[in-house]
Amino acid sequence: MARVTFENVGKKYGRMWALREFSARFEPGETVSVIGPNGSGKTTMIKCLLGLVHATTGTITVNGEPVGPDPKYRHHVGHMPQISRFPNELKIGQLIDLMDDIRGSKKGRAEGPLVRDLGVDAMMEKRLGTLSGGQRQKVSAVLAFRYSPSVLVLDEPTAGLDPLSSGIVLKAVREIKRTGCTVLITSHLMEEVEALADRVAYLQDGTLRFLLPPEDLLAATGQNRLSKAIPAMLISNTEAHVESI
Amino acid sequence: MWKVYKYTLIDLARNKFVAGWMLLLLAISLGLFQLEDQPVKAMLSLSQVLLALVPLVSSVFTIVYLYDAMEFTELLAVQPLRRSKILSGQMLALGTALVLGALLGAGIPLVAFLPNGASFTLILACVMLTLVFVAIGSLIAIKNREKARGVGLGLVVWFLFVLVYDAVLLWVMFAFSDYPIEPWIVPLAALDPIDLGRIMVLLKVDLAAMMGYSGAVYEKFFGNVRGILVSLAALMAWVAIPSLFAFRAFGRKDL
Repeated sequence: MARVTFENVGKKYGRMWALREFSARFEPGETVSVIGPNGSGKTTMIKCLLGLVHATTGTITVNGEPVGPDPKYRHHVGHMPQISRFPNELKIGQLIDLMDDIRGSKKGRAEGPLVRDLGVDAMMEKRLGTLSGGQRQKVSAVLAFRYSPSVLVLDEPTAGLDPLSSGIVLKAVREIKRTGCTVLITSHLMEEVEALADRVAYLQDGTLRFLLPPEDLLAATGQNRLSKAIPAMLISNTEAHVESI
Repeated sequence: MWKVYKYTLIDLARNKFVAGWMLLLLAISLGLFQLEDQPVKAMLSLSQVLLALVPLVSSVFTIVYLYDAMEFTELLAVQPLRRSKILSGQMLALGTALVLGALLGAGIPLVAFLPNGASFTLILACVMLTLVFVAIGSLIAIKNREKARGVGLGLVVWFLFVLVYDAVLLWVMFAFSDYPIEPWIVPLAALDPIDLGRIMVLLKVDLAAMMGYSGAVYEKFFGNVRGILVSLAALMAWVAIPSLFAFRAFGRKDL
């Protein structure tokens, strides 16, 4: 059984379709890089999966459970947003306590993946309002990995992180993938995509243009780097589309 | 819900605005009781200030807080929590913080200087108006994506209730003074929560001269105690109805 399925998922804002007839299946232990230009529908697709946005058409399932008003499926989901903002007056430790309470976790604050590696254990008494953007991203990464998710959604996970912390987060992605976790990751950094992705999903104007393993992309375009293969693939797709018309 | 309530309340407890609100009310209350020689007069002046300020601060603070907490709300919304629990926790925490601010800032001086039924009714009116305008503020914040638009709408709603509606009601009374419109005044006055709060207080003070037409009608129709209870029930409806709309809108909202 696929871990995550999208069947003809569409999302309309007013008159504009942000996502159209998106269908895909993501398997256990698979890392899929979702890429595309700004406004291509990546965030909408992720938000539909997380239940933050209600799909206009189609259905999404996580571990066979439908994404809908029942929040049970989110026990299996971890999410690291691109921009993290927390209540200014709470301390990091209190935020972790809150999330542990919600998830029913009995871990100690300093336990769990990434807490020590990212130095979050030393910041537990810091107010969230005093954190820099990078520190907030570290807290966000800790929360995303903390509850052993079977689906991990990472939105530009290394944006704002220093190179050392980026490396730690990417290493954690590889490790959690080995446990069978399905990882969906958006990124504009091709090196990240090349290093992590088992498949690359390219979205444009809300439409899935292709969903292929990087090797297939390189082979189909005769390129040796994804940064060159993706534009080449798009051009050949467009030419094929024009020919079919 | 209680988890979200607890941590939102911790955040609000450290919020300088809530502390500032309490200190402002304390300064106004103590100032009025020190300036006036009769505590009843001070209480009536204080009621005018509170019935205008409490709705304004409650709605604007709720709107601003909910906008500022949007990313945190998103973080909560991707947890295994129903959206209704997130919103109820946040609304209840906002209500608790603002009610505590009002109780400590105005309630304590009122009880200290004039410990009678009128003071307690004014405190009750303040508590209810706080909850009403937290509910209205939440609905506005959920229905509007832009913070400036939300705050603007909150100010417009407050202005309508505090001034415009009363003026319109007065005009209706004058325009239709030849007709038996008294029975209509009861439901019409209930459409303005601030007016309901004022009626509650003035029914208890029992000052006919200050009661106004709608207050006098409430006294005539229901008597003092029933009038207060009817006003209280109407205020509860004012908490419940915007809250229900807010929950419905939040459940359907794309975050």
